[in-house]
This record gives sequence, structure tokens and C-alpha cells, in this order.
Amino acid sequence: MKASMLLNWIARREFLERLRDGRLYWAGGLVVMLLFTALAVGWAHQQGAHAEQVAAQAMDYRDWLHQDKRHPHDAAHQGMHAFKPEPPLSMVDSGINPFIGSTVWLQAHRQSEVKFNAAQDATGLQRFGNLSVGWILQVLGPLLVIVLGFNAFAGEREQGILRQTLSLGVSPLRLLAGKALALAASLAVLLVPAAIVAAIAVAAGAEQGGRIDALLRLAAWALGYAVYLGIFVFLVLGVSAMSATSRTAITVLLALWIGQAVMAPRVLSELSRTWFPSPTRLEFNQQLGAELKAVSDKVWQENFGTTERWGRDVPLSKWGIALRLDDQASYPVYDRHYGRLWDTWEQQQTVQEWSGLVLPILAIRSFSMGMAGTDFSHHRRFTTAAELHRRNIQDLMSKDLVVHADPLGDRHFSYQATPDLWATVPPFDYHSPGAGWALRHQARSLAVLCAGLLLAVAFAAFATVRQRAL
Amino acid sequence: MSIHPPQGRRLLAVMRQEIRLMLAERGPWVVGALFLLLVAYALGNGLMQTAKRDRAQAAVAQADRDTRAGQRVQLEAILAGTAQPTPFENPADPSRMASGYGGQHALLPTAPLGPVALGQSDLFPSQYKVTNQSRVVFMNPSDIENPWHLLSGHFDLAFVIVYLLPLLIFALSYNLLSAERENGTLRLLLSQPLRLRTLLAGKLTVRAAVLLGPAVLLPVAVLWIARHAGFAGASSAMGSATLWWALLVGAYALFWFALVVAVNAFGASSATNAMVLVIAWVMLVLVAPVLLNLAVTRAAPAPSRTELATQQRVVTAEAMKRYQDLLGTEYQHVGHGAILMPRNGKIEIAGRALANYKIEREVDEAIRPALDRFDAQQARQQQLLGRFGAVSPAAVAYEGMTALAGNGVRRHARFEAQTVAYHEAWKAFFFPRIDARDAFTPAEFDRIPAFAWQEEPAGLMRGQAALAVLQLLVPSLLLFGLAALRLRRFSVA
Repeated sequence: MKASMLLNWIARREFLERLRDGRLYWAGGLVVMLLFTALAVGWAHQQGAHAEQVAAQAMDYRDWLHQDKRHPHDAAHQGMHAFKPEPPLSMVDSGINPFIGSTVWLQAHRQSEVKFNAAQDATGLQRFGNLSVGWILQVLGPLLVIVLGFNAFAGEREQGILRQTLSLGVSPLRLLAGKALALAASLAVLLVPAAIVAAIAVAAGAEQGGRIDALLRLAAWALGYAVYLGIFVFLVLGVSAMSATSRTAITVLLALWIGQAVMAPRVLSELSRTWFPSPTRLEFNQQLGAELKAVSDKVWQENFGTTERWGRDVPLSKWGIALRLDDQASYPVYDRHYGRLWDTWEQQQTVQEWSGLVLPILAIRSFSMGMAGTDFSHHRRFTTAAELHRRNIQDLMSKDLVVHADPLGDRHFSYQATPDLWATVPPFDYHSPGAGWALRHQARSLAVLCAGLLLAVAFAAFATVRQRAL
Repeated sequence: MSIHPPQGRRLLAVMRQEIRLMLAERGPWVVGALFLLLVAYALGNGLMQTAKRDRAQAAVAQADRDTRAGQRVQLEAILAGTAQPTPFENPADPSRMASGYGGQHALLPTAPLGPVALGQSDLFPSQYKVTNQSRVVFMNPSDIENPWHLLSGHFDLAFVIVYLLPLLIFALSYNLLSAERENGTLRLLLSQPLRLRTLLAGKLTVRAAVLLGPAVLLPVAVLWIARHAGFAGASSAMGSATLWWALLVGAYALFWFALVVAVNAFGASSATNAMVLVIAWVMLVLVAPVLLNLAVTRAAPAPSRTELATQQRVVTAEAMKRYQDLLGTEYQHVGHGAILMPRNGKIEIAGRALANYKIEREVDEAIRPALDRFDAQQARQQQLLGRFGAVSPAAVAYEGMTALAGNGVRRHARFEAQTVAYHEAWKAFFFPRIDARDAFTPAEFDRIPAFAWQEEPAGLMRGQAALAVLQLLVPSLLLFGLAALRLRRFSVA
């Protein structure tokens, strides 16, 4: 009882002090202002993009159904579009979305790449970062903690208060707990209202069925940031306890902050690329093209006894079956090549997530976009679903061509399918995976963050116990 | 007047003294070494990435040449009767040569200063395979780069200068005057026949030399050696670009030094100075460019890509419908290989291939206005950025450096424009031949339009760089002016 009262007392005193010296007002106020701006911008973008994608997707399918009679392969050539849905939480963290396409054209013959990223239509300044709630919390959040807490121990040591406090028999660990509580409370005063507004915005922005899931994701997302900022609370207190003066404390902390927030993402990005090199466009295309040709030749040789396309041996009445064989043979090739490319990207990201142990920003970045549904694993899932849909369209069209193989021998392309065939293709109805799926994919980064928190607590406890009163 | 004798020699004396002090202290050594390390890493990284890109470009160009040579050999063999064309690989057919089968790349070469600022080089493609298809098909960002890296950005020299140089300037000079005052030495110094501004000038010059040495001289030397060691071709524009780059770095550093002086002139404690400077850095380097980018993309929003995708599909569907009958005709060549052979300088183009050619042509025409709107809006964004960029010196310096390095939006837009022109020339060359069913001959291979990159005029580059330098100098002078005003009333105690 007495211990908890003491803890409360320390926390309250610290909190009041921060209010009095105005740091909480101006530094916190600035961050909160930016947060609300970012949220408003994110909200407007998410709503606009989502409505546009839903409308475009619906129109796309309607146009598909309303095709006239035509050759099925022509229909397959015209194909369909798959638009990547903008998840509700993209309003708090747009993740990699601005840098990767959002539209796939599902056409015959080839696995399409995802086109049209927002970055291609922006200015060079986008490389400074995108204003999002996530970016502010990741980059400016730790700075806020530093500004609020750098002199928590060092300042008291300079003023001689620390010596008096410790001489009263207050345990250093309790002092640490009290100060951590006060720092956490200062952050909560600023961030909890913002989180509530964000929750309302996300709930309002989500579709009827996805509201609970969006809120669950937001809750996990917020928890991640709580751990992230928690790491800095203890790190700041630890450094403050170790430093003889506030000046040393702030210098060390600012250096750490610059190292992790400004330099680390770039350095680790370059390093991970050195360790797991991505292919160049030419290498990728050449390897893919060579293997596609090889498997196609093999399939023709096995089935038609020749590799010559549409020569004397293979009349056009075999067109449907040949197309189907070619397609079926190409699917594993695409899976292998794209799979390898994407695995490389994921390996590169894994390097960065592990380095989150010492550079928490890399772990929280991954976790944040993972929970927001704007990371690469979500993108990969969408792309895979779109490709499966493309294959479904191709297979349905080829099947019809096989069934309606030209009996005359030279009238192949004059065959026209009726709209009934179009209706056999289902709409592309893609839903983002649930919060559980996202959390499972981000288990590593969350574990890294939690381990980081434990390390920070241990460091702070060690530094507080060992600190000198003078 | 009489109490302040000519200050020239005193300035030298101050500088000598400062150098001695800095040599004796540990801080400047640490800062200098750290900076040198960062510059070296950034430069090495830039050189490596640029070399990698150059190699990739060279491989693409080589692959193009090989393909072209192979097609020519095959055509000669076909004409000699020793080879049979196939429907999809027939160099005698101009509609095939105009398509992806015969298409060639437009390549954007690395500029001489490329390694110092990688800028947008990873985001915007520096190669497009030009065919008779609409450019909406082939002019798209290449998604071979991990988006996580695009989000993170590069660790290049521009990053070190824009983000880290100001911090190192702070580290060396946040307490330029405040420390002297706090130690009581300022009073002593100014009791000598020494002006406060001479003292300041001496201190600043020495610190600027410590930082600008590695920031400017090292990269220039390394680039010079890299060029002369044959890592890349030298260019006559390099000297001028390097000079402007050095001026830009100098002006950017000057801005931060001016800020340091202005902050010191207010006479607050060293701790307050440090705090104010760090806040200014956060606002000007981290926050302002992000807000500026947001404001510009809001003021001149790009048209919707989703709508573009829909429009592309609709015009394709319409064109396919229009040529449905032609699409329905047979590949007449099937079973009659002879039909693929040129006869009397003419060649038959299968109905379906012809239909595809006409469809592509229509899609290209129909989609062009929409694409032009994207280009216009991007130009408008850059224009706004040029006008309002000055709110963040970091944005000005970054844009200026990427532009000089040839990895900025402007040079890329130029590359796109030249690719579009090349595309037009490509179509103008092939379309009449396709329409006339003229068989392609080996002699005509040499007449196929080739892409030749026209570098930005040096005047444009200089003008833009001069504007950027000016946008940095004006606020620097204002800050120095403010400092001068405050220093008149500066209290030494």
C-alpha cells in the first residue's frame, strides 16, 4: 500500500513538473497537431481511393458480363482488372503502398505485374517520407520521449535533488518506476485522445463487415506503438541515470535517435540488399523467358511431337488444347520466378526486422504496416489472388475453346462464344485477411519489439541502481 | 574607429587560435572523423549503385544489339532460302519488327555526378522497351525493386549532406559564443582590439573548413579519380556540374552556419541554443519537406490511375470490337509456311496480326490525352515546388543535388519526353511499311530509328542550380542580418 502510494506520488510530481516547464505543451502540442493533420489527410486519401477502387472493380465486372458474342481468347486478351483494396488502416500507415502498384491487368498468356504506384505521380520530395500517423510516431515519437525525459535523473543530479531523494531511503527501482509511469502518463495524455479519434475514423471508414476486424487491427497496432515508445521511455531514463549532466544525456540520446530514426532505415536497407541481392529487370526477364520457352517446347514435343508452332503437324483446331497446355505449363514457372523474387524481398525485410532488436524503428515499421494491411505480405497475398483469378479466366476460356474446337480445320478464330460463357467467370472478390493472419505474419517483429522492451527495462534498472547520486 | 584597427590580421590570429583549440580538443576530431566516415560510406555506396545500374544498362543495350543482329542474320537466311520464318518470329514482317519482337530500349545514361545523389533513380525506370504498343503499356515503373527499399531511401552523399551535415555543424558550433561567455573568456577577448564579428568570422571559417573539406573536396577528388580510372565516361559538363554542386553544398552549409550565429546572437545559454537548433532541424529537415510534398500533391493532384486503367480497358474493348471481323480471320499461314515469305518486296500480314496492330494503334491514339494530363500535372507539381520549395532549405538542397546528379524528376521527365518522341519516330517508320505490306529487308535494319539521348542543356542545369543556391543564400543573409542586429546589443557577461 505504502509502496504504491509512493510510486503514485513520484509519478504525479514528475508529471506536474513536466506540465510546469511547458515541455509537454509545446513539444506534445506540436506532435498532436501533426498527428491530426496526418489523420485527416490519411482519412481523405483512404476514403477516396477505396470508393474509386470499389466502383472501378464493379464496373470492370459489369463490362465483362456485357461483352457481345466474341472469340473466348479475345475476351481473355481484353481480360479484367484487379484493383487492390485500400485497407481502412491505410489512413494511419500507408506502408509500402505508395511505392507499389495497385492495379493488375489480368490478361491472357502472361502473369501481369502490378502497375500504377502513387510515387510515380509525386514530386521528388516524397523521398523525405510520407506524412502518416505511423511515420510521426516512428520518427518523432522517440524524440518526444527524449525531450520529455532526458533530464529525469540527470537534471535532479545536477540540482542535488537526487541525493536527497535517495537519502530518504527511496529505492532506485521505485524511483525508476515512478518516473517511467510519469513519462508514460505524459505520452498517454497526448496520444490516447489521438488514438480515440483514430479509432472512430477507422470504424467509420471500414466497411460494415470489416469494422470489428479493423478495430482489432488498430488495437494490435496501438499496442505495438506502446511497446515501441515504452522502449524509449526506459532507454531515455537509463541514459539519463548514467549521464553525469543533462547535457551529456541529451547529446547521447539525440545521437541515438538520429542513428536509429534517420540513418538506420537507409543503412539497413542498403546492407540487406547487399546480403540478398535482387536481380535486375533484364536478368529476371531473361531467366523467366528462357524457362517459359523451355517448358513450352517440352510440352509441345510431348503432346504434338514437334516444337514448331502452328506448322503442318499442329492445325489450328488444336489451338485450344495447345493454349491450355502452354498455360498450365507456365503457371509453375511464374510461381517459381516470382516466388524467388518475392522471397528475396522477404529475406531482405527479415534482416531489417531482426535488426529491430537494436534499432526498434525497423521492427515497428514492419509491425505497423503489417497490422495496417499495407505491408508486402498483404500485397503478395493480393497479387497471388489476382493471378489465381487470371488463371481461372484463362482456364475457363481455354476449356471452351477445347470444347468448341474447329471442326472445319481452318475456321478457328471465327468461333464466337455467347455471353453465357462470360457469366461462368466469377467476379474478383478479394478481401483482406483478418487481424489474426496479419498478427501471425508479424509475430517476429512483435517478438523483437517485446525483447527490445525487456532489454531497455533491464538497461534502465541496471543504470538506475548503479547511478551516482552526485 | 580607432579602437578597432584593421581586422584582417586579427581574423587570421583568431583562426590560428581556433585551429589550435580545436586540435587540442577531442570533439572536433570525433566530429570530423565521423563525418569523413559517413561521406566515404555514402560515396562508396553511390559509386557502387551507379556502377551496378551502368552494368545493367550496358547489358540491356548489348541484349538489344544481339537480338537485332540475330534478326538480321535470320532475315538474310530466309531470303537466301536457308531458313523458314515462323508466324511470331518473322523479321521480314514489319508488323513483327515493330512489336515486342523487334522492339528496342530507350536508355537513360547516368550523369557524371550520378553517384552523389541517387535520387529517384531507383523509382523511375531508366529503360523503356519501345514498341508499337501504346506507351501506357511500356512506360511504367518497373516493380523489380523491393518497395521497402524505395520507402527507406538511399544512403548517398545527398542524404549525408542534407540530413547529417547540419547536425555536425551544430555539434561544432552550437555554443559558438555562449561557451565563451559562460566560461568568461568572451569578456577577455573583447577587451582586446577585436571586433565581435571578426571573432565570429574566424570561428566560422575554421569550422566550415573542417566540414566542407570532407563534404566537397573528398567527393570531387573521388569522382575525378573514378572517372579517370575508367569507371565511367567523362563528360565535358562534369566540371560545371561539379562546381555548381560545390556551390550548392556551400550555400546549404552557410544557411545552417547562419542559423547557428543567429541563435547564438540571442545570447541564451548553450543548452538552450542546442535545443533550439535541434528543433529547427527537425522542423526544416524532417517535417517541412513532408508537409511541402503533401501541399504540392494536394494543390496539383495527379489524375486517377484507377480511372486510367478503366479507360485503357474500355478503349481496348472498343477497338477490339471494331476489328472483330479481322480478328476472326485465320492465321492463313498455318500449314502454308510459304505465305510468311516475302514476295516481290511485299509480305502478307495475317488478318489477326493486322487486327492487333490496328487495335494497338487506336488504343495509343485514344489514351494519349489522358497520359498527357499526367505529364502536365507532374510538371505543374515541379513548378510549384520550384516556387515554394524555399520554405525548407533541405528540400531546396536535396532537389538541387538530385537535379545536378541527373537523378531528379526533371531529367527523368526529359527522358520520358524523348522516349515519347522516339516512340513517334518508331511508329512513323513502321506504320507506312505495315500499311503498304512492304517486306522488311536487311538493308533497312540500319534505317530503323535508334534512341539517342540528348542531355539537358548546360544552361538549364546552371539556371536551376543558380536558383537553388539563391534560395539558400537569401535566408542565410536574412539570418546573418538578424544576427548582426542582435549582436549590436550583445552582452558579453
